[in-house]
Amino acid sequence: MIQEKRITLKNLGKINPESIDDYINEGGYKAFEKAVGLHHIEIIDEMVKSSLRGRGGAGFSAGLKEKFTSEACLRCEQKYLICNADEGEPGTFKDRIIMENDPHLMLEGMLIAAYAIGASKAYVYIRGEYYKSIDRINKAISAAKEKGIIGKNVFGSAFSVDVEIKLGAGSYLCGEELTLLESLEGKRGYPRIKPPFPAEKGLNGKPTLINNVETLATIPAIIYNGPEWYTSLGTEDSPGTKIFTISGDINNPGYFEVEMGVTLRQLIYELGGGIKDGKKFYAAILGGAAGTFVNESVLDTPMGFDTLKEKGAVLGSGAIMVMSEGRSLFDITNSILEFFKHESCGKCVPCRIGMPQLLHIMENLKNNKIGRVEALDLLLYESEFMAKSSLCPLGQSPILPIKSLKQYFENEF
Amino acid sequence: MSRLINIKIDGKNIQANEGANLLQVAHDSGIKIPSLCYHKKLTPTGACRLCVTKIKGTNGLVMSCTVSVKEGMEIIAFDEEIEETRKHILDYLLAEHNDHYDGTYHDEFREWLIHYGLDKHENRKYPNISKTLNYKIDDSSPVLTYDASKCIKCFRCIKGCDEVQGKNVLSFSERGITSYIIAGFDQWNESECDGCGECIQLCPTGALVEKPHRDEIQLENLEKKVVTTCPYCGVGCQLELTVQDGKIVRSDGVEGVLPNDGRLCVKGRFGYDYVHSKERLTTPLIKRDGKFVEASWDEALDLIATKFTEIKEKYGHDALAGYSSAKCTNEDNYLFQKFIRVVFGTNNIDYCTRLCHASTVTAMLKSIGDGAGSNSIEDFATTDCLFVTGNNIIETHPVTATYVKNGKYAGKKIIVCDPKWTPLVKYADIWLQPRLGTDVALLNGMIHAIIKEDLIDPDFIEKRVDRGMEAYEELKQLVEKYTPEKTEEITSVPKEKIIEAARMYARAKTAMIATGMGLSQQVTGTNNVFSLINMMMITGQIGKERAGIDPPRGQNNVQGATDVGCSPIIYPGYIPITNEKNRKRIAKLWSVDFEALSGKPGLTTVEIMNAAYDEKIKGMYIMGENPMLTDPDLNHTEKALNKLDFLVIQDIFHTETTPFADVILPAASFAEKEGTFVNSDRRVIRVRKAVESPGEARDDWKIIVDIAEKMGYSLGDYNTESEIFDEIAQAAPIMAGISYDRIEHQGIQWPCPDKNHSGTSTLFLEKFNTPNGKGILNPVEYIPQSEQTSKEFPFILNSGRILYHYHTSTMSRRNKSLTDFANESYVLMNPGDVIKFDLTDGDKVKLTSKQGELVTALQASDQVAEGELFMPWHYSEAPVNRLTRGDLDPFSKIAAFKLTACRVEKFVS
Amino acid sequence: MERSEVLKQFKPDHENMLNILHALQNNNSQNYLSEEDLKIAASYLNTTYSHIYGVATYYTMFSLKPRGKYIIRVCNSPVCNMENSTKVIEEIKKNLSIEVGETTDDMRFTLELSECLGKCEEAPGMMINEDVVGNLDNVDFKSIFDNYN
Repeated sequence: MIQEKRITLKNLGKINPESIDDYINEGGYKAFEKAVGLHHIEIIDEMVKSSLRGRGGAGFSAGLKEKFTSEACLRCEQKYLICNADEGEPGTFKDRIIMENDPHLMLEGMLIAAYAIGASKAYVYIRGEYYKSIDRINKAISAAKEKGIIGKNVFGSAFSVDVEIKLGAGSYLCGEELTLLESLEGKRGYPRIKPPFPAEKGLNGKPTLINNVETLATIPAIIYNGPEWYTSLGTEDSPGTKIFTISGDINNPGYFEVEMGVTLRQLIYELGGGIKDGKKFYAAILGGAAGTFVNESVLDTPMGFDTLKEKGAVLGSGAIMVMSEGRSLFDITNSILEFFKHESCGKCVPCRIGMPQLLHIMENLKNNKIGRVEALDLLLYESEFMAKSSLCPLGQSPILPIKSLKQYFENEF
Repeated sequence: MSRLINIKIDGKNIQANEGANLLQVAHDSGIKIPSLCYHKKLTPTGACRLCVTKIKGTNGLVMSCTVSVKEGMEIIAFDEEIEETRKHILDYLLAEHNDHYDGTYHDEFREWLIHYGLDKHENRKYPNISKTLNYKIDDSSPVLTYDASKCIKCFRCIKGCDEVQGKNVLSFSERGITSYIIAGFDQWNESECDGCGECIQLCPTGALVEKPHRDEIQLENLEKKVVTTCPYCGVGCQLELTVQDGKIVRSDGVEGVLPNDGRLCVKGRFGYDYVHSKERLTTPLIKRDGKFVEASWDEALDLIATKFTEIKEKYGHDALAGYSSAKCTNEDNYLFQKFIRVVFGTNNIDYCTRLCHASTVTAMLKSIGDGAGSNSIEDFATTDCLFVTGNNIIETHPVTATYVKNGKYAGKKIIVCDPKWTPLVKYADIWLQPRLGTDVALLNGMIHAIIKEDLIDPDFIEKRVDRGMEAYEELKQLVEKYTPEKTEEITSVPKEKIIEAARMYARAKTAMIATGMGLSQQVTGTNNVFSLINMMMITGQIGKERAGIDPPRGQNNVQGATDVGCSPIIYPGYIPITNEKNRKRIAKLWSVDFEALSGKPGLTTVEIMNAAYDEKIKGMYIMGENPMLTDPDLNHTEKALNKLDFLVIQDIFHTETTPFADVILPAASFAEKEGTFVNSDRRVIRVRKAVESPGEARDDWKIIVDIAEKMGYSLGDYNTESEIFDEIAQAAPIMAGISYDRIEHQGIQWPCPDKNHSGTSTLFLEKFNTPNGKGILNPVEYIPQSEQTSKEFPFILNSGRILYHYHTSTMSRRNKSLTDFANESYVLMNPGDVIKFDLTDGDKVKLTSKQGELVTALQASDQVAEGELFMPWHYSEAPVNRLTRGDLDPFSKIAAFKLTACRVEKFVS
Repeated sequence: MERSEVLKQFKPDHENMLNILHALQNNNSQNYLSEEDLKIAASYLNTTYSHIYGVATYYTMFSLKPRGKYIIRVCNSPVCNMENSTKVIEEIKKNLSIEVGETTDDMRFTLELSECLGKCEEAPGMMINEDVVGNLDNVDFKSIFDNYN
């Protein structure tokens, strides 16, 4: 029987999330204290060695991202650290769990990352609907300021830092890091063209590091225990742990932090309590709306960035939506496409017009104007065009579910 | 400087600057990669995705507009997959598009559709959903219409408004496929849009189109396009007029040419209708028994020749005078002053420059030797700190202001000094709001702060200032008493702000000063500018690029008219009439006897009118001026004009002054003539004929030549304007190297001493134009204004211009587009005063000064300080100059338009 | 609270744009951004009307129409949709006699749809103002709404 391995959720249920003392008593802010005693290059080295891959979905090396931002300029007027807490990927709620239950852990990760890159200003860009998380983080920031953990010359070092909360207001796309920057600058959520990357020109044109909540919440443990400890967990290509949020037709939906490399079967049947109503597993969507459908042939594949990629699937945010037999793939695909259309900003042509086109094909299928095979081919054709010509990841997303449908469910769609 | 690198596009070797935009490089090399959202004056957007390419070594498709070129880059711009993708994108766009085309605008989108065969419906793949999207049409603006169903959402309008014009008035509403362009809160006429039309010019489809002449324009019937220079303010914007059936139907900015690089303001784009006004003068008119009757040219010219000759013989040369025109060309003005000097035999020639920048020019000539702006208009975007004083630049020089705003966006500093709020305050780092008429004190206070903080440039003072540190010490001593506290007391500007502004200006790597009527139109006008120049000199903020002093010129050719000698004291090229050597040279050039050219300085504008009042001037020739609205103390002017024996007015319309004329001559407008103007940055630019003059109206210079002939003089045997200019180039050494063939594409900035000289973008880099080449400090004390408030006259009235009108609005009020925006006179009063004097916003009020009275509408506004009022002076029905005084600045003879004590009462009819 | 008081809590900085709009909307008794709210925000942030309007219409949490005291946001994203959020929406519509996007006559409730609220373990879910309510498959909506007066 697989067990959870909690790093980012280690204090969950053990401490009062609104008490900084509780957090400190559990060893909180020790890693930050250790960090400010080290040269920032040493921290970046440790991070690179840990091979931690971004937990927002893209899976880019967190250490390298820090390195690039840190090296962006010799004498920068200003650098920024941004915690991307704009969790909006359908089926995903891992960041909310961290923020509601252990806000200081995320803050500590932010402070270490800010120190590593030399950012004196850090922001938490958080979903406007996450009222409870906002409240918890606000309280955590105040408490940390009171203790002098955020502020001038923290722990007697030369490092000074300020942390502020900025609210999102209902836009999935603003979770995309370049769009997030636009939003943070008080603009409409339009993606920027890249290059330049945020490490070079981010918020207000200054070097900026943007990390997901879960990524940041992992940092204190890495700094405290060392990268070797971290790489001993998980798999070679995807070390460490990951929070999976499982929903849909299972008996015990929820969140589970496990080592990378566990299988989908273990997650569903051992931690998730199996399929609801004793039904058979039919399909799962991994990674959210911008994710991939898989069938039972993937149940025993170890969960990791590269192992799933080999199967034409993505790990993404760690969301797993489970469907039992009898579920309609058409309905959920339609719902996913509706979601994308609603969230398309409208800036680039392929995404703005492609989204309605995809739904138009779905409607034609529904009305029996076209057949299933033809519909799937048309969807694939349009979404491939969108994927190669769209400006940002949103327009490049429909291809994920659609291609995986073709791969795993060509005859059942 | 970026280095040249080599790249390959579809096998073709191309050299480009490293880091240049790939799409632009391709376009410049004649490789026409399709694009819609890209425009070279905007930052890349990456929205339309049409400019896809492939780059060797990079996965997938790359949008060329987002790529900076690097050495060795190999690009595929055209292959089957790329072309399929482009067609796919266009087909997508058609799905949300209403592709009805009415033939009135240049439709880039449609051109690409045709190119890819998508104009044919059978080639389209996607159902059109535009009708289901409920796109709206916003028709509320006076000058444009937005039709969302024709919009391809390319962002060009939004970015043009923001990045080019610095206004940021447009945005999108909603998101995704239902999004559309908005101004304000989704209602164009209630937004901040000022109608410049940059968005129309940039729109690649018919989504944003202008309103005027919509139902007339048919591009298929287009007659021609003519590039010329805008007839309004002194920026000198290059216009492309579209002519159809002998009529101007559209005006666009010319892209890629200085000074405006395609930018225009609302007047430049929509202010041309007056050319075709039914009220144009079309035939000579002679006053008989108090009534004007139509006459033939011969009749009129004979009469004029007889009368002028009579006066000359009876009262002498100096009983005649002329006002030339800041609106006419250099060629017109050059021949006008030649006429006055040769035919009238006097130097009584002046024009409205005396009423605007005379004091500025006087101070500048004395301290630095040149009255023209030291820099180029585009420098307003790149100078590190801009000090704008007494100059509502956004409204008076809207296109120069776009460069100022571009600078602001790039992080440059702006200091505004103005007693009245101006729109530039929104962009300013500091706004100094001194009491009216306390400028010398404020500037001395700033100099005091600069000296106290040791921010002077001793090296510059030593090397470039006459008598170096000795002169500086005198200034230092004089400003000693202008402590921040004392300065605050006089000016009411908080001392912290004075110090902050002084630091900002002095510490900037480069700083420029833009000065305007607010400083010049005071009895202390010359002193005001002396103080400015003192501050500039001791900080070394001149004599290098992007530093200096610039008085943006109010009228299209106010610079040129003086350049070519329309002044009582100088000849063409700023050579004093007292310079005998030059006078001899000119006499030879003009083929006249040296003795025939008077060496006696003539009278200035206001002095001429005073002399008329004193019956010393008996006859006047006025070309394109309207003293009955522009002069101070109009009641006095009216009496003076009535006393004249003979008055000739040459104009394109009846004006407030024409009723006093004996003969009125119909002249050609800017659109009907060839010639040149000189703009504010000394650029000699072409004016080209687009349409025929109405009726018998004639070119100004031809009229002048004919009058001379009738009076027995030959001004010269000119066939074309180009020949006249060649003579100007001989007369004025600053223009010696300029000729029409050299300014065909883009103007040249004088001084341009010879044919190989490319012109001068910055003055005074090596030396000043003073006799010994050094700049001169002129320390001046603050003198309290003679005009003070009293119980009887508790307010000080200030006057100025607004964006939509120009000068006496003879031209601007004959354009529906402009009058739709603004057509009513008003006076601004601080809300506190409105309450104090028991008035109400919107009241009809009577303003009374010692000189006269007028009626206008009251507007409560915190744009003015308590105790101060502001009125636009364009409106003849409420002529501000009925109230102003004839008091002059003793040095420049400019009138004190800016300060008039008056009272305000509720008007009871 | 006076609008100027609301604004005072924030620096006049574009980074505070969304925070300011949230605060003004929360301060508005009708839970929306009135033209007056937008104007004062534009002036405070030294920007243009269209800029503010463009931002306010982009983000779904802002409304330019008056709304009820309580905003019901029903999650309609794929997970909740799979768990029958459509039925939930229908029941609420029936219960309050309003359509999606409408407000009850007594100005108590406005019904809106929302993207994933991150309550997927209790799908289908919704929020009523700041409260999250999950497991809505078999609940008595009337008794839930009765708690909100």
